[in-house]
Amino acid sequence: MKKVVLFSAFALSFVVTTSSCSKNKCHDCHYDKAGLEIEMGEYCGDDLKQLEALGTFTDSTGTYTVHCHEH
Amino acid sequence: MKFIALLVAFVALSTNAQKELSGFVKNKRTNLPIANARIHIEETGETSISDETGAFRFLGNYPESIHLHVSAMEFESKVLAFTQSAQALGRQYLIGSLEVYLSERHLDLEEITVSTGINVQKNKSPFLIETRKLSDLNGISTLNMGEALAKIPGVYQASLGNGISKPVIRGLQGIRVVSLLNGMRMEGQQWGGDHGMGISEVGIGSVEVIKGPASLLYGADALGGVLYYSDESYAAVNSESVKVQSLYNSNTNGGALRFLYKQSNQKFRFLMGGSYANHADFQLPNEKFAQNSRFNESVLKTSLSWNGKNKVHHLRYSFNHVMSGLPGHTHDSILNPLEFQSEVQRRKQTIPAQFFDNHYVSFENKWFLDRNEVSLLLGQTMNQLTEYDEKVTIPGIQMRLWNSLYTAKWTHTFSENLKVVNGVQGMFQNNVNGLTATEQLLPNSLSFDNGLFSMWMYSMDRWNFQAGLRYDLRYLKTLEEFNGKQAISKKYGSPNASIGAIYSTDNFTFRTNVSTGYRAPHPSELLADGFHHGALRYEIGDEQLRPERASQLDVSVEVKKDHFVIVVNPFLNNIQQFIYLQPMDSMVSNLPVFAYKQLNRVLFYGSDIGLHYHPHFAHDLHMEATYSYLNVRTKTDSSISMIPPGRLLMSLRYNLNFGKKLQVKDVLVQYTFMNQQNKIAYNETASPAYQLLDASVQLKWNGKAPVDVQVGCRNILNSSYIDHLSRLKNISMPSPGRNIYISINFNISHQLKKQ
Repeated sequence: MKKVVLFSAFALSFVVTTSSCSKNKCHDCHYDKAGLEIEMGEYCGDDLKQLEALGTFTDSTGTYTVHCHEH
Repeated sequence: MKFIALLVAFVALSTNAQKELSGFVKNKRTNLPIANARIHIEETGETSISDETGAFRFLGNYPESIHLHVSAMEFESKVLAFTQSAQALGRQYLIGSLEVYLSERHLDLEEITVSTGINVQKNKSPFLIETRKLSDLNGISTLNMGEALAKIPGVYQASLGNGISKPVIRGLQGIRVVSLLNGMRMEGQQWGGDHGMGISEVGIGSVEVIKGPASLLYGADALGGVLYYSDESYAAVNSESVKVQSLYNSNTNGGALRFLYKQSNQKFRFLMGGSYANHADFQLPNEKFAQNSRFNESVLKTSLSWNGKNKVHHLRYSFNHVMSGLPGHTHDSILNPLEFQSEVQRRKQTIPAQFFDNHYVSFENKWFLDRNEVSLLLGQTMNQLTEYDEKVTIPGIQMRLWNSLYTAKWTHTFSENLKVVNGVQGMFQNNVNGLTATEQLLPNSLSFDNGLFSMWMYSMDRWNFQAGLRYDLRYLKTLEEFNGKQAISKKYGSPNASIGAIYSTDNFTFRTNVSTGYRAPHPSELLADGFHHGALRYEIGDEQLRPERASQLDVSVEVKKDHFVIVVNPFLNNIQQFIYLQPMDSMVSNLPVFAYKQLNRVLFYGSDIGLHYHPHFAHDLHMEATYSYLNVRTKTDSSISMIPPGRLLMSLRYNLNFGKKLQVKDVLVQYTFMNQQNKIAYNETASPAYQLLDASVQLKWNGKAPVDVQVGCRNILNSSYIDHLSRLKNISMPSPGRNIYISINFNISHQLKKQ
């Protein structure tokens, strides 16, 4: 019975950890400008969410679509 | 009401009186005992292992009719069916009187099938059901379940890299193939070609494949066939076992770690397993890597079973979580295949990627009394599919599909020759879209299925007959306006039937059956009007689509000699109102537009041929060959895409069994020839033929804890090929190149103290 309880506890923690969302993951972001990938550095958590929700980066030369995944 | 009263009566009659079932397993030729033979009661799931004297023993409560499946290494397995009167089930029930004689193995064909809704010996079923142990399918190790299944005649896989692989049965796939796990239907948005299967190999013992329509048994949708997965059997009575497997693949620089723990006593049986797999981008034959083909998977499963007098219960739960990269992502309007190949092998999660979580819970109950068996299966599944396309924090698509299921069956044995199964089956589905997702492939919707069926089995000398009738009703309702279309509410209903006969002698078996099936249109086919990024197309639905109806004629002839078996299985599947995707010769945002259309009639026909030769002069050599052929006929021959080409699969296995401490068990060489496919749909390209060569060696270290090692190589010749059913064909991405793998398995089991 001890083993069953032990295994069940392990199983529960496994499901909880595996199902939990990856809120704090970080990603390198960039935007494409004049055929070049301009690196913006690493964004994590809420900063990453905000950047993606905005979706663009604007500088004096224009507005560019932001990507946070590899090519 | 009668059904409920019967159920209550069975429960009330339950007591704790126990009976003994014991006997010996012996070699038929030498009369010597066989140790380590496995004796399995199919009805309750209990297992016993014979000791050095060949003795085995069960102590418990058993139904009146039982099937004992007796098997041992190097011996032909045997199925013994017992039907005793209620009195004979008492104290003297088979105590020590049972002697089972097994013949030395040449070719083993005697199996029990469960997918036909009743435990029946394969050689008494009018339906040719392919039954495979997962360990046999993995004689050459595979990366996913779809690959393993694709070794079965008539079964192929449609894959999107290594992480997503879907079974194709006789040319039909997706929603037309129904999968069941221990009798419970698995629902996981399988209508989408790019949506994964949601099952892992952990704890799965065998799979049965019904090819062709099977609506009589499983209701709507099963037009192409059924895959029925069964869990590994529990540990032998009063014992526990631990199995740990670790697997490494050179091609993906990844592998899997799996464990399975089992414990059984007289009344309770318990099983728990888990696994974690992680694979980086796979390597192509040109030594580059398929960008974003990485995937990882976590699995957990557990089962608990207990029995009382004339009853048995199984409570099961399994969960899997998969992250699969979606290769072929680009922002360019012109596809450049080389853009999707990388010099560097990466593992880190990126987008686009698909995440799917599956939870399956089932509670199966069986009661046995006199000539009756009542079973009730209740299940709940939840599938969450999340796809991240352009943003890593905001999903492109997110859907949760809840499915509640029930199956109630009453089997009555009128006489030794006549048995009847009556039942009801149904499911309630609820599809809910995630609030944060930017797109919706399906509206929030409900569907409610109910079916009523009756199946009759009659045996007469060497003949066995089976016939059945069923009526199904589906109610479908969408809960909101979708793609500018009003919410819909539709009802679909259809009768289905099946009839078959088998004539079987020791050396010859003839089967024939006619079965029907129906499939109501899916909401995606009725209402789609948008991008399906995973499938790389823009889809347009049609609310006026009608249900598909299929009728199949299936014939099989099996000739068996001591050292030779040949099976020929031609079929003809006529599908009316066939729903398909018609390319529209236009593009939206660089993706081709497809619309759902219907064809009055499509004829799928072909044959599977199997041959097993085991020469008398070389007892340790086994040669197997299967050939699967499929053709499709329509009035407009360019409508049906993804028709699998002819496939020849040959294997040569030599049981060496030499060495003591380190034993070389057997060597397996496998050759696959996939024919070219020139029968293509509009906008589809032909595929050239290709050949593959795989090999493996099985080793065993006979230490204190025995260790099994499998070393092998897939695609030894490093052939560059693109399978006709590969979803990476549109980006000209070849399948994986050479893969060297090693698998190490620890199997430890020991006897518990007698209780």
